[in-house]
Amino acid sequence: MPIHEKSLIRPENLTTHDKLEIDGVDVSGHWSTFIESRVLTDYNEALQDEVQALPGGEAVHRCWQCGSCTNACTVNAINPDFNPRYWIYLIRLGMEQELLRDKDIVWQCVSCNKCTHVCPRDVNPEGVMKALAHWLELKGHTARSPSTEFDEEFASQVFETGKIEESRVIRGFFRRTGQPLMQDWLIAMTRRMLRHVPVKLLLAMGLQGLLRPSTRSWGAARGAIRDYVARRERENRRALGLDAAAHQGD
Amino acid sequence: MSKPILVVGAGPAGLAASHALAAVGQPVVLVEKERTLGGAPILSGYAKLVPSGEWAKDAIGAMVQRVEASERIDVRRATRITAFDGSPGAFSASLSDGSQVEVGAAILATGFTHFDSINKPEWGFGLFPDVVTTTQIEQMISSGKGVRCPSDGRKPKRVAVLLCVGSRDRQIGREWCSKICCTVSANIAMEIREELPDCHVYIYYMDIRTFGLYEDRFYWRSQEEFKVKYVKARIAEVTSDGERLVLKGEDTLVKRPITIPFDLVVHAIGMDPSTENPGIAEVFGVALEEHGHIARASTYRDMSATSRPGVLVAGAATGPETIDDSIAQGQAAAMAALSAAGIALRAAG
Repeated sequence: MPIHEKSLIRPENLTTHDKLEIDGVDVSGHWSTFIESRVLTDYNEALQDEVQALPGGEAVHRCWQCGSCTNACTVNAINPDFNPRYWIYLIRLGMEQELLRDKDIVWQCVSCNKCTHVCPRDVNPEGVMKALAHWLELKGHTARSPSTEFDEEFASQVFETGKIEESRVIRGFFRRTGQPLMQDWLIAMTRRMLRHVPVKLLLAMGLQGLLRPSTRSWGAARGAIRDYVARRERENRRALGLDAAAHQGD
Repeated sequence: MSKPILVVGAGPAGLAASHALAAVGQPVVLVEKERTLGGAPILSGYAKLVPSGEWAKDAIGAMVQRVEASERIDVRRATRITAFDGSPGAFSASLSDGSQVEVGAAILATGFTHFDSINKPEWGFGLFPDVVTTTQIEQMISSGKGVRCPSDGRKPKRVAVLLCVGSRDRQIGREWCSKICCTVSANIAMEIREELPDCHVYIYYMDIRTFGLYEDRFYWRSQEEFKVKYVKARIAEVTSDGERLVLKGEDTLVKRPITIPFDLVVHAIGMDPSTENPGIAEVFGVALEEHGHIARASTYRDMSATSRPGVLVAGAATGPETIDDSIAQGQAAAMAALSAAGIALRAAG
């Protein structure tokens, strides 16, 4: 007999006991398969407010589900599971569990802003995607990845000096991720650079690496940026009901 | 002096028609079955009207006063028409008070009847005290008591408004859209959010029909300024878990069943044809259209005409109608009545 609406059964909703006996009958294995209920039993009313407190998410409550964002979406054309319209709806109604199922694809947004330009209600879906990714991160739903480490190393150097110095970024990144400095590909690249890059430029690069000069008059900007980032982090964490201790990005 | 025009019903359409006729010097006999004039907005205790935001007792009350103050309008309260004979320019109407009036034409402004939610038992009205209608919410607001759960008087933390209760439902023979409930619901939702900022309001809809200028002033504003949430789902059942009401249905955008607890459930009830219409049709000899409203003979050339010459119709008697359009139709019917009764206005001067 065919199982109707089989597509609605999600693998994570199937439970099977390897060893189970009910009233003396052995129902181990697939005999004991249960499908958990698909029913949504409540709304998390804090969710919309939390996403709205994060930069980009402010106008999410305006959405009326026309789907223009998803139709315009660059990523959706490649990955049909990437559906901003749907996530906006889940945020609005506080369907958190449903949202978390897609936590690993939300970040795929390429910020092309086609959705933003097509939206008839000024929802700023691109901003919502950013806010949502941020929300997932702050709530601890997204694991820290090597790219998180890279981003933070990169940003910390920009905050510090107003510019980046590539060799420092790479060394910092390796240190954060526990990688050895001497890696075959890096050695090969350095060798080729020594052979092909003009001596004058190599010297300039070396000097930059040693002296680590800042952008001119960076001191005031550094302080202002640090203050702003710290304040933003505090506000974000407070809005999400997390501890007020600022999350240090550097 | 010409024969008076008979106006049946003293709601917005009847009041407007009476005033318009009196204003051009035409005597009117205004017959109202209730003791109070004003029709549904007054009798049902509406709060702030759409789209003006004026209180019904002020806005419609002013129309009532204007009619009551007019010397040319003979108001008969708690009275019905029992017989109506004759032809245009020479009709004779028998009234339930035993009197007889000779009139040139008649305007039926007999309005509608609110849908009775008892006819949708699966949505819990009559079964659970905290399931109420939009009319009851209007009364809670207009009485100044505020929106509360009838069961224990507590302030609701979560309210659901179910649209299309008694509208767009072939199962119960209501195949029309009641036109105004979407906008009224958005308005009520905003009023609840204003009074109770901690209370979340959800509107369960099939389509949102806030037509014309109601779109941004009500639908958009309720979302953008008041964060009212709209859920695309037609609720299957309203039950209770013993403490709170529980809505069961399918969220069609998520394609998942929902059972969500609520403190208060509001039925956005539709506009039925007046329960009096079969009697009105018999007494006045006018045809009803397929749903039971008074049929218009023409949509364009004589838009106030019924199937019987000299008998005109205005307002929600013809189908779901807004208050302001009912008033416009009342005025249009007044003009049509003068013409039907063969009354020519004297040249000014």
